[in-house]
Amino acid sequence: MTSTAPTAVATDLLDSLLDIQPGTPLHAVRHAREKVASATQASQDLFFAPVLENNLSLTERLWVAYYAAYLTPQPLLAAQYLGQLETQGIDKGVRSNIESGALDALDDARLAAILRFTRTLIESPVHGDQQALQALQQQGLSTEEIVVLAQLIAFLSYQVRLAAGLGALRAAGEAR
Amino acid sequence: MSDAIRESGFTNEVLGWKAWLPTVDLASATAEQMAVLEESHPQAKTSDYYLTLAHHPDILRQRSQAFNAIMYAPGGLARAERELASTVVSRINRCVYCASVHAQRFEQLAKRNDVIRQIFADPKTAGTTEREKAIVQFSIDLTLEPAALSASHIQVLREHGLDDGQVLDLIHAISIFAWANRLMLNLGEPVFPST
Repeated sequence: MTSTAPTAVATDLLDSLLDIQPGTPLHAVRHAREKVASATQASQDLFFAPVLENNLSLTERLWVAYYAAYLTPQPLLAAQYLGQLETQGIDKGVRSNIESGALDALDDARLAAILRFTRTLIESPVHGDQQALQALQQQGLSTEEIVVLAQLIAFLSYQVRLAAGLGALRAAGEAR
Repeated sequence: MSDAIRESGFTNEVLGWKAWLPTVDLASATAEQMAVLEESHPQAKTSDYYLTLAHHPDILRQRSQAFNAIMYAPGGLARAERELASTVVSRINRCVYCASVHAQRFEQLAKRNDVIRQIFADPKTAGTTEREKAIVQFSIDLTLEPAALSASHIQVLREHGLDDGQVLDLIHAISIFAWANRLMLNLGEPVFPST
């Protein structure tokens, strides 16, 4: 962090993706819990900072996010993260291997291990055991990288459900 | 705790938790790591869980702010009902450690544990009132099938007396346990008291 001064509230990703406009009842309901909304967006900003020192690359983090949203599925978030990946110039073959779950076919063994861990935690978290961490260590991930990866996948599990909940509230319209 | 529940591998007894990864050593922790530990939880400096997450203090800080705002903020959904949802999510995700902690919190707030026993035995049929059953079912649905959530799920909660602020509090409590359960399940394991 270079500055501790509060920055003007940039875009809130979930408000923007779900079109929750200021002045609407749902916006008022959501922002009555402003501490939650701001910690959610601040987490988003941290997880997808251009550089995390000595840690996962932005491309790796975006693949994790895309794969988590794709598996859930949460189409709005999947499109968001895919769009960010595309600005980095992604390989179509890599994308199709990931979407079809052919992680063994990826040339990048480190990315394959990261995405295997992602799939386990998204689909069946009870099966992510000590061996799952060892598989990451064998690909050279440090303790700090594994902690960030677990936090990232856990955050995405939160974000896809919050998006689903807000989307359902929006679809339900104003309470009578 | 008034009476111990042991059911389907779940319990309301106090459990420990040990990390699978090396934890941050307090003797060599940075000032920022110490500050985040202090603001996260009263016992964070002696907890393997917080000492694991402190490897990345900025991310831990935002997680703790979201968690504490969701579970402890005044108004809205009763705190016991937030703990009820957390216990259901932890039971569905099979996080034995989280289920024990939040079963205890529910009991402290609600002064009863009848519904906890039901959740541990069979979450799908749990609930001592119609409102409780609606909260339990919504917690299961958003946990297992977020993609299928629709306006009709919200309508059911409204029919059981939840206003939209309470519905949002419930969505937050369920979602934050998607996050918490994964950290507890995937970075370490529960430690059972020796009997």
